[in-house]
Amino acid sequence: MGRRVKVTIDGKVFSAEEGESLLAVALRNGIDIPHLCYEECLEPYGSCRLCIVEVVEGFKKGITTSCTLGCVDGLKVLTNTPEIEKHRKVLFELYLAQAPNSEKLKKLAEKFGVYSTRFKEKNLKNDPLNGKCVMCGLCVRVCNDVLGVGAINFIGRGYRATVNVPYFEESDVCKGCKACVEVCPVDAIDYSDVGDKRVMISWSNTKVDLIKCSVCGRYFSPLPVFGSVSKKLSEYGVVCDVCPDCRKRLIAKNMTSSGGYNSYA
Amino acid sequence: MRVFTDSRIEKAERELLAADKPRISVGLATCGISVGGDRVFEEFKRLIEEKGYDVSLKKTGCIGFCKEEPLVNVKLPGKAILVLHRVTPEDVPEILQKVESGDDSFNKVLFQIDVWDHKTVPPISYGQPYEGIKRWQEIDFFKYQEKLVLRNAGIIDPESIEEYLAVGGYRALAKALNMSPEEVIEEVKISGLRGRGGAGFPTGLKWEFTRKEKSDKKYVICNADEGDPGAYMNRNEMESDPHSLIEGMIIGAYAVGADEGIIYVRAEYPLAVERLQRAVEEAREWGFLGKNILGSDFSFDIKIVKGAGAFVCGEETALIASIEGRIGRPRPRPPFPAQRGLWGKPTNINNVETWMNIPLIILKGGEWFKQFGSESNSGTKVFSLVGKVNNVGLVEVELGTPLSRIVFDIGKGAPGGKKIKAVQTGGPSGGCIPEWLFDTPVDYVNLAKLGSIMGSGGIVVMDEDTCMVDTARYFLDFTVDESCGKCVPCREGLKRMLDILDDITKGRGKKEDISLLKELASTVKVTSLCGLGQTAPNPVITTLKYFEDEYIEHVVRKRCPAKVCVELIEYEIDEEACTGCGMCARRCPVSAITGEIGKSFSIDKDKCIKCGTCLDVCKFNAVKKVSRGLEDG
Repeated sequence: MGRRVKVTIDGKVFSAEEGESLLAVALRNGIDIPHLCYEECLEPYGSCRLCIVEVVEGFKKGITTSCTLGCVDGLKVLTNTPEIEKHRKVLFELYLAQAPNSEKLKKLAEKFGVYSTRFKEKNLKNDPLNGKCVMCGLCVRVCNDVLGVGAINFIGRGYRATVNVPYFEESDVCKGCKACVEVCPVDAIDYSDVGDKRVMISWSNTKVDLIKCSVCGRYFSPLPVFGSVSKKLSEYGVVCDVCPDCRKRLIAKNMTSSGGYNSYA
Repeated sequence: MRVFTDSRIEKAERELLAADKPRISVGLATCGISVGGDRVFEEFKRLIEEKGYDVSLKKTGCIGFCKEEPLVNVKLPGKAILVLHRVTPEDVPEILQKVESGDDSFNKVLFQIDVWDHKTVPPISYGQPYEGIKRWQEIDFFKYQEKLVLRNAGIIDPESIEEYLAVGGYRALAKALNMSPEEVIEEVKISGLRGRGGAGFPTGLKWEFTRKEKSDKKYVICNADEGDPGAYMNRNEMESDPHSLIEGMIIGAYAVGADEGIIYVRAEYPLAVERLQRAVEEAREWGFLGKNILGSDFSFDIKIVKGAGAFVCGEETALIASIEGRIGRPRPRPPFPAQRGLWGKPTNINNVETWMNIPLIILKGGEWFKQFGSESNSGTKVFSLVGKVNNVGLVEVELGTPLSRIVFDIGKGAPGGKKIKAVQTGGPSGGCIPEWLFDTPVDYVNLAKLGSIMGSGGIVVMDEDTCMVDTARYFLDFTVDESCGKCVPCREGLKRMLDILDDITKGRGKKEDISLLKELASTVKVTSLCGLGQTAPNPVITTLKYFEDEYIEHVVRKRCPAKVCVELIEYEIDEEACTGCGMCARRCPVSAITGEIGKSFSIDKDKCIKCGTCLDVCKFNAVKKVSRGLEDG
């Protein structure tokens, strides 16, 4: 644990760890600051710009993103000045035109008082991400920085930039783990489990084999994920080829029959 | 030190002075080559070999007068250097004959250099001046310049470390190694040198940050990813005097405690890359790079990394990402590169020109350096003066020089006696400064006050025929293309601004567009992640500030006052002036012009594609370009 410091958000004093993201402190304490690209397991990235706050006392005064703002003792910020609301409204409008099909984005914008956009909707014909992507980069960063897989990345530059697999060709490194789907704040990434295959629809229909549960016969995990997980867990004597539902049942059964639980833990 | 008494240096000195035989050097920076300097050089080489002339032929960089290229320096023993301009291969035989026979009545002489101050040594007397020929400092183009960074450009051979040594090269390094790193930093701090990449951060302070970081490994980087449209200062500096840059970097590395340096130079500068590569190898051979430099316990080496042509990689965090092989996208600061830079290690990044100032500051002292420039803006700045200006070229002036001096006294105004309307400083990140503010001193503080920036030093001059809305659109088109796409204001906001400007220049603009444009510009400026987005709206903001009437003309009257925006102009034939020669009709690519020979012709506006050919070919000024707009027509 680092040193504890006191920071002031909208006049209220909170305790924080020195250097931690101010956005994290705010969210933890129930202060709602909109954000799309922030995720606890990743380094602050500062791309969505929605979490802007105004620093009134600190290293550098003025408007900055709270996710990348490190807490120092005496830091004072405001989250809802007219200036911030003005800029945030424009940013939301830009997003609404960029990703016109995302319901989640619309809800977030509405929550902060933005119901429509003055900009023309972007032409997103044949967009693998369904006109929902806001380019927050969470999927790319999870795939590359957390999992070390690197199946997807940014393609192109500027307003033409998008996220996908290289050359929009089926990926041979994607493990079908769905971390990208889970982390996406706007539900832009499509996938589907069909029979013994998982199809990552948005990633040029990349197909990954699924593995069957040895008890009930249901397909439940992508084979490449199972491979790396089971290798680690087998060292602890854990049997892995069982789906989560059956595992629950087996644990329950063991507990009732032997009075304790020692297998499938 | 023994290295400085090497006999090869004395030989180079004799060559520079043409002590033994005449010396001809051809200006071969990219600017000279692009107008045929290389062909002139080849012709000299061929003839000298063929005829066996006893003449030494050298390459040199660019002295800055790009408008007059190809430039050739001719130096006869004991005499001043004559600079000949606009030399063609056809001129070569005569020049050589005259050199051979000692006849000094050369054609195409632009000026002479009898004494030149390389700054690193006492002024060198190159020889007896000629009578009746202007000295370089008597020419308006040079009169107001102060050459610190370009101290050797256009005189020495950039491909010869011996010539650099002959004019006092690497002496600053020797001096620095006898100082403590802290003393070196102190000297730079005293000089008041500010980063020449554009933002103007105090260099000494930056060095101190990196110095104070504790780490087993540190880096210094030279940012040579120059990419502003119309700016080529760094290219010429590297092509003309690569060793100044290298010497500066070695001193910087010693000061901050780095043992590895990287020059990040754009791949579009092949000649600069080649000359730097050569200079690095030479420096290594001479012991200025490598292990135990000049017998000290300081070791340092330089590597050259070529950028792949993304403008955003001039931003330091994107530049680092690019060197590491990652996508060239900026990240938020802090942590600054001084804390966490290349490969996570403390890194000091400076621009080419910043580095080139260092040897002077160390050798002559910070106080000496401060005598140039103005209060808190010490030293000089090299500008590339381009656009609608007579004297196009590289101009090095003291900071604080008024814009009018640069544009009118040095640049000699616009060609054809046109009225100058504005200049754009700092490239696409800068702003347009109107003519009525030309008494503004050019420095970091004053340009910022006007809503522009110094940037890396591009000055684009615009005359009365320039449409300011179109200019803003042009620069925005560039930044939209170069935005990395990471943060939303720059990625989406700039594109929306461009769409609005497109509408306005095509006559589709609405009144509310101007306020929306202002609103967007403010949000993009305030909320963008890196310098690219934060400054990209500047051309729009400043043109709206100083030339809003032009925007209103476009939007309300659908008129382009400068007659540039194609959709808002028409071509007409003045019946009175038309002689009926029919030239326009013959040249019109879409047969839009009809009439009777000997009488007069007229243009069918529905067919006309507004290519302007008729205007160009009419010898009687009968074709007129008009932008009437709504009220008149």
